[in-house]
Amino acid sequence: MERSPQMMLLKLANRNILGNGKRSLINMVILAIVLVGMIWMMAMFHSWTFSAAQQMGEWEHGKGLLEQKDYDPYDSFSWDKSHAPLSRELMNAIAADEAVPILLSPAVIYPQGRMMSVQVRGIPADQKLLKLPTSALRDSSSGYAPALIGTMLAKNLRIKNGDTFTMRLKDASGAYDALDLQVVTVMKSPVPSVDGGAIWVDLERLQSVKTMPNEASIIVLGDPVLGSLADRDWKYLSVETLLADTYKLVETKKAGQFVMFGLFIFLAMLAIFDTQVLSLFMRRKEIGTLVALGMTQRKVIMLFTLEGLLYLVYAIGIGAVMGIPLFLYFALHGWSMPPEYDSFGIAGLSETLRFSYPPNLILSSLLIMLFTTWLASWLPTLRISRLKPTDALRGRGR
Amino acid sequence: MNDILVQIKNMCKSFPTGEGDFPALKNISLDVRKGEFTGIVGPSGSGKTTLLNIIGSLDTQTSGEISVLGKAIDKLTAKESAALRSRHFGFIFQTYNLLPVYTVYENVEFPLLLLRMDKEARHKAVIRALEWVGLMDKIKSRPAQLSGGQCQRVAIARAMVKEPLLVLADEPTANLDTENSLHILDTMQRLNSELGTTFIFSTHDQKVINYLKRVIRLVDGKVASDDVVKAG
Repeated sequence: MERSPQMMLLKLANRNILGNGKRSLINMVILAIVLVGMIWMMAMFHSWTFSAAQQMGEWEHGKGLLEQKDYDPYDSFSWDKSHAPLSRELMNAIAADEAVPILLSPAVIYPQGRMMSVQVRGIPADQKLLKLPTSALRDSSSGYAPALIGTMLAKNLRIKNGDTFTMRLKDASGAYDALDLQVVTVMKSPVPSVDGGAIWVDLERLQSVKTMPNEASIIVLGDPVLGSLADRDWKYLSVETLLADTYKLVETKKAGQFVMFGLFIFLAMLAIFDTQVLSLFMRRKEIGTLVALGMTQRKVIMLFTLEGLLYLVYAIGIGAVMGIPLFLYFALHGWSMPPEYDSFGIAGLSETLRFSYPPNLILSSLLIMLFTTWLASWLPTLRISRLKPTDALRGRGR
Repeated sequence: MNDILVQIKNMCKSFPTGEGDFPALKNISLDVRKGEFTGIVGPSGSGKTTLLNIIGSLDTQTSGEISVLGKAIDKLTAKESAALRSRHFGFIFQTYNLLPVYTVYENVEFPLLLLRMDKEARHKAVIRALEWVGLMDKIKSRPAQLSGGQCQRVAIARAMVKEPLLVLADEPTANLDTENSLHILDTMQRLNSELGTTFIFSTHDQKVINYLKRVIRLVDGKVASDDVVKAG
């Protein structure tokens, strides 16, 4: 094979770093660990975001929401007022299982003699759009209104399947009414907002108690196209809008993790920088010889920078050996968060998180490492341009 | 005369020190012609290596003129200077300065790669150079596996492989015993007569001086004498 000057530089650089023995190996292993850690971390955040979006869609907001225009999820005083009748078009979409109306109301419950404010949510028992086990809401043979609650609320209230309690709420005219509820299912939902402080009952029963027949507060859509049904009573919220807070939360966590990994990258780069500085000091005579043989100082700089970059090439190889089994494990078996994470109020973490590794994620990790390694390799070599060949040949100069 | 390789006129070189400039070379004027086997001799600190470095375009003069192969050394860009060294100069150093990670073959091949010579021509040239210095049996050895004399022979092969016009040898025998020194000198003398390559030595070794055809003696940076001691 014809050997070009570039190939010659590459070969020389390769020989030089392999000739460095353990020092090179340490650099490569450090770089490999940082690289694997970075890909793992980025994959974790990617998978978390993906999982959160998927689970929130399946459990809470489908492919978008129509919200009654006065509804404010953060203002419980707005819940009594935020309801509107369902139009014919909306009724058709609901009948075709393409939308699910939900009526919301503030309420007070009295489990075991205690009092607690909750949000009661009326949902059709026969809905198929959301993963909520609403079919259990049909059964009312006991004389109590069936209710669904999440594990988090059940734990807080210390109530279990079959327990009964009274719920007080206001009707449309502002008069108080009460409903005796029986817990028919304690569900485990990966979406905390479906669980925390929410009691799910049959929509028709809630509409009847609230004297709001054919009314709802929010409508979960099975197709974003139905967002066009928004009118003066209803405002459309896309999936992107609904996930904005979750994305922000992930970004905040990501920023914190990046500070930590930035520190690791810095340490890895310090190792390369240090090796390069030492190498330049020890190999001044070699630098002088290369210049005497006819290499330009630019080429000598290229040679030393290449040596630094080759650490990364080997690190990618070592990283593949170290990382692929690890990545496969997390992709196949996932990462189960400790049960305490259930109460953190973060979607996507309460179920086993299976990692995915999109190519752009791996590529961006590699590019970050490539740039930082190049910088750490190149910066020390700038000394070469200040080094006089005559001094270098005598092993002098700084 | 068109066979003048090196032409120096009133050249001075000084180095800055803490106490002002130190004059290493003072008003040097000399010519070196093609095919010469010349030595710059003198005690340590007399300016031999400085003169050799300037001739080899590794350094530039402070004042005066020097042209090598018709090119003014101080007017060359870094790239032109590198090209001049790569194409026309061979260097031999006291400490051999071989690339430790390369084999003997690769060390000798290295200057040809810089010249972008094709593989076949490169191979022929490397084998020829190694035959000149008698190291065909060490082709795959690394410098660490060779004796000092063998290393210097590799350095000679590396300097000669591209058949340069000028070989600059800085104290080539300083680290060698008498037997190896004489072997090295015999080799260089043979190459000088067979290929017509010009050799300029910097030395204070009497063994080398005995081989020289011309001796330029430097004392305190000045040419004290310039004698042709053997007919060329």
